[in-house]
Amino acid sequence: MTDGRVLWLPIAAALAVGCGHESARPTQDGTPAAQAAPADSGARATDVPVLADFDARVKEYVALHRRLEDTLPHLSKDSTPQQIDSHQRALERLIREARADAKPGSIFTPDIQAVVHRLMAQVFGGADGAALKASIMDENPGPIDLAVNARYPDAIPLSTVPPQVLQGLPTVPPELEFRFIGRHLILMDEHAHLIVDVINNVLPR
Amino acid sequence: MPPRLVAATLVVLTLVITGSLAGSRAAGPAAAPIQSQALALTLPNKSDSLKFAVLGDFGTGSTEQYELAAQMKRVHDLFPFELVTLVGDNLYGSERPQDFQQKFETPYQPLLGAGVKFYASLGNHDAREQRYYKLFNMDGKLYYSFTARQSVRFFALESTYMDPEQVAWLEKELKDSHEDWKIPYFHHPPYSSGDRHGSDERLREVLEPLFVKYNVSVVFTGHDHFYERTKPQKGIVYFVTGSGGQLRKGNINRRSGLTAAGNDTDQVFLAAEINGETLSFNAVSRAGQVIDSGTITRRK
Repeated sequence: MTDGRVLWLPIAAALAVGCGHESARPTQDGTPAAQAAPADSGARATDVPVLADFDARVKEYVALHRRLEDTLPHLSKDSTPQQIDSHQRALERLIREARADAKPGSIFTPDIQAVVHRLMAQVFGGADGAALKASIMDENPGPIDLAVNARYPDAIPLSTVPPQVLQGLPTVPPELEFRFIGRHLILMDEHAHLIVDVINNVLPR
Repeated sequence: MPPRLVAATLVVLTLVITGSLAGSRAAGPAAAPIQSQALALTLPNKSDSLKFAVLGDFGTGSTEQYELAAQMKRVHDLFPFELVTLVGDNLYGSERPQDFQQKFETPYQPLLGAGVKFYASLGNHDAREQRYYKLFNMDGKLYYSFTARQSVRFFALESTYMDPEQVAWLEKELKDSHEDWKIPYFHHPPYSSGDRHGSDERLREVLEPLFVKYNVSVVFTGHDHFYERTKPQKGIVYFVTGSGGQLRKGNINRRSGLTAAGNDTDQVFLAAEINGETLSFNAVSRAGQVIDSGTITRRK
């Protein structure tokens, strides 16, 4: 398991240089992973407190996730479909109940949304922007109703998130992933199949 | 050294069986029987070789999936492959327990019962919890590697979410691997002539330099719902094996300049064999036709 640390890659690198901060995200095996910041991330010094706040909110969410998941029988690598299904749906139910009052913006605050919009505009405004968007929109269903703390629709495939886009997004613990639905960026709890938060219209038209 | 592709003119093994697939199929969707053609494999079938199959985009629960699965069993009876690498989209739509049964366990039960192990990678239609499913042998991981006989190491990647951590892991695994053959497989094709999806160039930017640097010779992918073998790209042959259940007829763009061989008219899986420096392959259709065959010599 990881420690729940979340850092923006470019900012993490800056912090690591300036503060001796450990910027590596633990791997799926729980060991630290090497990572490097993009040469030109577009991140600003004023982003640091915003990202620190995001870090704290994600940690709080992941702590809740882990506390609730620990109340369930653990899945092994030799699980049956029944065990997998029971675990996933029980965790979904526990988190939805615990976050019954969750609102959009609880993790993606307006300040964080502004930073994400700016950095993603830079990514998608580059020479590869159109191709990156096309990759994300491949089998992407387009606009649908999204709700925080709702189940990710079973029938909708997961969007591809190209490595060039992931390099510009914060690194989050393995319980969470960034995905796109239509033009919207979602933070998804991949164990519970829940939409944790949404930023609208991150992809350019 | 680029791989040497040779048309399999020397038929080392030719076995012929004819009949209707429907009669040998396990419980599944009702279907009109297809007329199976003579099964004429052109693989060495040596006793100590590594024999394996590649299958992708299969988990539909459709008649076509079941018929191709039956064809796989027929091939296995003649050419006893020990493992199947899955290039993703293992379960389409709902993933309740009954779906695992209908879309995987039932069609492949004859192979599972014969001791064949399936090693999955995940596609964009697959829930992440599949990594815990015993019969997918993923060891609870989204990406992993494993060794096989004949100095072969497989690398199962998660191509919908190729984050820096996974790229760093892959490079370390490739660098530390001492096996002669290093075979990555994953869902999204860096090279494909698909009109629907086509080459994932963003993924290619990240992975291809590693494949070239660490002497990868062959890569297996899916996503586009047909069979394609590319001409060597920087010395590497890419296979698209995305018609294990799905099929997008007429979707290969023959003007792409990539295609060495392709089939977009029937469901197909790949049977392969490694003996020392050589990988031999047969692509087998649902109707039992070997629609592509050849050999690839590993890069050094």
